[in-house]
Amino acid sequence: MSGAGRKLNHVWRIFATGVVFVLLGVGALVLSITMFPVLRLTSWNADTARRRIQRGMQLTFRAYMEIMRALGILTFHVEGAERLRESGRLIVANHPTLLDVVLLVSQMPEVDCIVKRGLWRNPFLRWPVSWAGYLPNSEGEALIEECSATLRRGHSLLVFPEGTRTVPGESPRMQRGAAHIALAADSEILPVTIDCDPPTLFKGNPWYRVPARRFHLNVVVGAPVAARDFVRGDEVPARAARRLTRWMLEQFDAGRMLRSNPGEASASAWLPAVQPFTR
Amino acid sequence: MSVTIKSREEILEHLRGVLSDLYELRPEQIVPEANLYTDLDLDSIDAVDLFLTLKEITGRKIQPQTFKDVRTVNDVIDAIQALTSKPAG
Repeated sequence: MSGAGRKLNHVWRIFATGVVFVLLGVGALVLSITMFPVLRLTSWNADTARRRIQRGMQLTFRAYMEIMRALGILTFHVEGAERLRESGRLIVANHPTLLDVVLLVSQMPEVDCIVKRGLWRNPFLRWPVSWAGYLPNSEGEALIEECSATLRRGHSLLVFPEGTRTVPGESPRMQRGAAHIALAADSEILPVTIDCDPPTLFKGNPWYRVPARRFHLNVVVGAPVAARDFVRGDEVPARAARRLTRWMLEQFDAGRMLRSNPGEASASAWLPAVQPFTR
Repeated sequence: MSVTIKSREEILEHLRGVLSDLYELRPEQIVPEANLYTDLDLDSIDAVDLFLTLKEITGRKIQPQTFKDVRTVNDVIDAIQALTSKPAG
């Protein structure tokens, strides 16, 4: 691409990113008073409606991803997407960008999410999030109890154990809540690593600071493991939670290492290599 | 399993055992000025576990608000000392 062409492409991507952000915001409000209430009314049964609304979320987010791809903002690839469609697992992912939720939910016809509890005070958004059965991010044990209950009902739950978006080059401080949820529910854990190249939309990076070239989101879905494989004998859950949290960080670090040493190994070869502790 | 703990040193020694056993900590990390959350990396769930364990060890009824303001190992020692100095009830 020539210098002028590159400049034009850069300006275009700033413009397109702005358009998409407005579309995300306006779209959320419009769908809150159109598609989601209609989906809610398609069944008397709240659980049936919940499933349809989650499917509506997936299709909405898939549309956003395809719009962004069509506008030349990004490309994306998901390795192992079929495992995201199997239900009943705690899905743990690292959190490099603002679009991680959009991308992952666009791959899952049915998944519970933890969302900001402030949304329950929003006159538009409170309805779709409650009809979808999403969980408000309450405090400590209450949240862990609600999350493990949803897993025990056979739902999938998406969690970002790092708690917040990460900053490139900085090691995140892992929260142990995700591990406590999986242990309390005695569920399987599906590790997902997301890589954004070049980094953009990370914590503290404004949307208009678009990267030098179109960015690529690469998602690798690892192999599921059982939470109970991390429990030794009759020790306290605190220890198993630490062990499980370390394992999650290893999965995420493996993904981050791939990014700094591209071509060294394929991601699919890397992930199953790290095995959990077994009794 | 109630134990009688008297001096602060004895309580600290006991806490070293409890904390290192529960949370994979090295005994030398457990000093009076260590902050449970920032230095010892405990989270709110761990704090509840610790609270229950101490209840078992001291054999006393501990009010949740006693532990609400606890930040450091020293605070834990203070709380235990306050509890065990009172007659068992």
